[in-house]
Amino acid sequence: MLTTQGIIKRFGAVTVLDGIDFELQSGEVHALFGANGAGKSTLSKLIAGHLQPNGGQISLNGHACNFRSPREALEAGVAMVMQETSLAPDLPVFENVFLPLYGSKGRAKFSELRLKTSTILAQLGVADEIDPQDRTGDLSAAHRQLVEIARALALNARVIIFDEPTTSLSPSETDKLFAVMDRLRAEGRAMIFVSHRLEELFTITDRVTVLRDGGVAAHGVRTADLNQAELIRLMIGRDVESVSRDTLPAAEGGGEPVLAVRNLQAGALVRDVSFTLHKGEILGLGGLVGAGRSETLEAIFGLRAIQHGEIRFHDKPFRANHPLEAIRAGFGYLAEDRRAQSILPDLSVRENLLVAALSAQRSLWARYERFRERAAQLAIKLDLPPHRLDDESMFSFSGGMQQKVLLMRWLLLEPEVLLLDEPTKGIDIGARTAIYKLLRAVAAEGVSVLVVSSDFQELIDLCDRVVPISDGCSIGAVPAAMLDEEKLLMLAAPRSSMADQRAWIDRMAVKYDAAVFWVIVDGDSLICLAASPDSAATLGFSSGAVSLIAQTRVPQALVQTGGRGVVGETDGTTTLLLRVRNARGHDLGVIGLTFKSDVSPGQVTQLRDEIAEDIAGQGNENILLTF
Amino acid sequence: MSSTKSTSLLARLSRSIEIRMLGLALVLGLILSLASEYFLTTNNLLNLLDQSVVIGVVAVGMTFVILTGGIDLSVGSVAGFTGIILGLAMREMPIPAALLLAIACGALIGLLAGVLVAVFGLAPFVVTLGMMAICRSLAYVISGQQSISDVPESLGRLVDSSTLGVPMNVVILIACYAVAWVYLTWAKGGRTIYAIGSNIEAARIAGLAATRYRILVYVICSALSTLSVALIAGQLLSIDPLAGNGMELDAIAAVVIGGASLFGGRGSVIGTLMGVFIMVMIRNGMNLLGISPFWQGAAIGSIIIGAVLIERLMARRTTR
Repeated sequence: MLTTQGIIKRFGAVTVLDGIDFELQSGEVHALFGANGAGKSTLSKLIAGHLQPNGGQISLNGHACNFRSPREALEAGVAMVMQETSLAPDLPVFENVFLPLYGSKGRAKFSELRLKTSTILAQLGVADEIDPQDRTGDLSAAHRQLVEIARALALNARVIIFDEPTTSLSPSETDKLFAVMDRLRAEGRAMIFVSHRLEELFTITDRVTVLRDGGVAAHGVRTADLNQAELIRLMIGRDVESVSRDTLPAAEGGGEPVLAVRNLQAGALVRDVSFTLHKGEILGLGGLVGAGRSETLEAIFGLRAIQHGEIRFHDKPFRANHPLEAIRAGFGYLAEDRRAQSILPDLSVRENLLVAALSAQRSLWARYERFRERAAQLAIKLDLPPHRLDDESMFSFSGGMQQKVLLMRWLLLEPEVLLLDEPTKGIDIGARTAIYKLLRAVAAEGVSVLVVSSDFQELIDLCDRVVPISDGCSIGAVPAAMLDEEKLLMLAAPRSSMADQRAWIDRMAVKYDAAVFWVIVDGDSLICLAASPDSAATLGFSSGAVSLIAQTRVPQALVQTGGRGVVGETDGTTTLLLRVRNARGHDLGVIGLTFKSDVSPGQVTQLRDEIAEDIAGQGNENILLTF
Repeated sequence: MSSTKSTSLLARLSRSIEIRMLGLALVLGLILSLASEYFLTTNNLLNLLDQSVVIGVVAVGMTFVILTGGIDLSVGSVAGFTGIILGLAMREMPIPAALLLAIACGALIGLLAGVLVAVFGLAPFVVTLGMMAICRSLAYVISGQQSISDVPESLGRLVDSSTLGVPMNVVILIACYAVAWVYLTWAKGGRTIYAIGSNIEAARIAGLAATRYRILVYVICSALSTLSVALIAGQLLSIDPLAGNGMELDAIAAVVIGGASLFGGRGSVIGTLMGVFIMVMIRNGMNLLGISPFWQGAAIGSIIIGAVLIERLMARRTTR
């Protein structure tokens, strides 16, 4: 249906696409796959007329058609659904759907357009979700994208290009988009799907064309004939080095403590964070967006005021009021948003690289030359051609290369502690592997690394231990080997009741001289969300632990009752278990009190009623106890 | 840091703003020398330099401010106000002491503006607009609406003196640009100023003292405004409370013609110097050619818009 032959595209002196042959059939979803900077987006923009090729031929149904503008492409039936939506937010949906028609002659009748829009939305199966009269800016990201698809259909596009369509969609919204794509496929339309998310590619596409370094690495291969490893190999041109754990130094107890954070409170998001980072350790902060992970790093680095808590660095109190103080003390900090927080757009790559070195030095002159050699060495370690460090602008680099430069910015200073916020966000697998390798290597040299990532699998693979952070509160530190994504998510899931519960637990522990804990029982293991101080000896587990019930000191209580009632343990302690629910009846786990002194069953019943009364007296709506 | 070997010298030269603006200045000079035989005489060239001095000195300070992404509208009024201070002080104390006092007052005004911008986060446009009104008003108040005409002859002799045939004020101009260029290109502070203008958030996270340097540029700018009014006083032997009126627009125009970005991060003092020369040459050329002075605004305005347009078109070509 649509073919390209020998497409060449240059930006200035850089050849981005070098002789691309590509073929799209009707009634298929064809994936364009490749690392960042491989030319996927450029090729789709060429096909849709947003850019013009420097050479080569695009044909539609056998006719040559190098479109000079998106309008020409649209009129020929080729539409693109953009990564950042191209809708006018203040206009109603139906006007956005027919916006391209506003440029053509003749008068538009609103009533007619509204009706047509309803028909198209019905065709997409979302007629009851989007009203043609709605203001477009009020719609969700997913719905806005559907409006863009509706626009393509309004022009009866036969070829629709989706450029990273799922970036801003939730999983259920993605499913809905795929259902729509299925429907369009059944109607015989051809779709190009640009993405680097593997799972989606296997779900929705029929064939894959893999681009690599401006060339084609695989031509329209049937998706069903590939597996993930093969696809990744095609994309980066070599086997991915597995991110195995065998090179890891010993975890907790191995190195001496370097950075100890106790009960840190900073702003609204960081409420009670504690952890200890050891020498040569990679420690992860795992939590959902908004859990206060980035803000914890900012507080340590002197970018955020600390209200409460203590930070000890090499066992001395440490508090940075300005990043420079942290830098001089031996910290490096890679911020989350490259463009907004890290890149200096007007300065050369070399100055971007050396800006932290510049601020750390005390001399009057900017002494850049003495870092030249070390920068080149580091670049080689990171698979970055050293001569690219002489480039004029960071924007000639792909995301992965930018991130390597920004990482080098801090490594040049030979820091003791590296604070990394989403170090692999938006970069391709090749660069990701290089960064993992480097982080492992610097940790082995004795640098302590604190990583924040939303990618739980990355944390588990990369880190020695992970500190789950839920709603601004940390929950112990779990060896990564004991975690999988599900368990980490269980620990880190936001619990608005966390701070209240924790205070209550500590109070109960003092009041009844008991070890108090809050756990989630999951089959034969438990996940401990909180425990009172100094309770590990009594319980056999502590906050943040993921343990087998049989290996704890209170197995009988947890097994026999499934989390309720009173039981005497073999060693004479008595444990009172209370099941916790929130106001909507959602299970929040089990709270237990293991009494250190002898108590009789009768006393326990009395205590149970007392505690229930205490909770009710608090007026705490987040906690309900059932027995 | 600019010792790039991978790109050819010519390609690098054509990409540098300074060289392009030098080219524009030379072309303009060539046209004027063809149009008027008087243009290329020693006298006229010295005259050109002389006319460049006052606006040139102010434009250096303006370049510092604009590089951080700020703007200083108060330079003319600061010149007026501190000029009166200088005139009054010279009645009481020796000239060097009076000069120091006036420049310190200028620096203090800059410090106040800088603190309001960098610490309190007010918009530079608003702060310096306010300063502009305040300083002009104070100039009238402390001068009693009178110009000061008893400026000591020795100040005039100082400004008119010459070293190796070069007039003192031109020496000062060259010294200002040389120091500023070296500082902005090679010193830690200079590079910090570029980094702040380019992305202040990134500069701060990298540990640069963004607040301090953002204040510093306003201090430098106001102090240089005072220096410029001292040069005016030496030439005219009189100080008017209206001195420096409209100077801010000339200075900003010179910086913009010189290729700096009003968003900060891009520009250079060499470019600014070329911008000053281009503006002065246009005025001088139009005088020589007997064109009504009322056309000067149209000509300079066209150059400003033209220069920015060319810059934009060039930038678009290099990013494509």
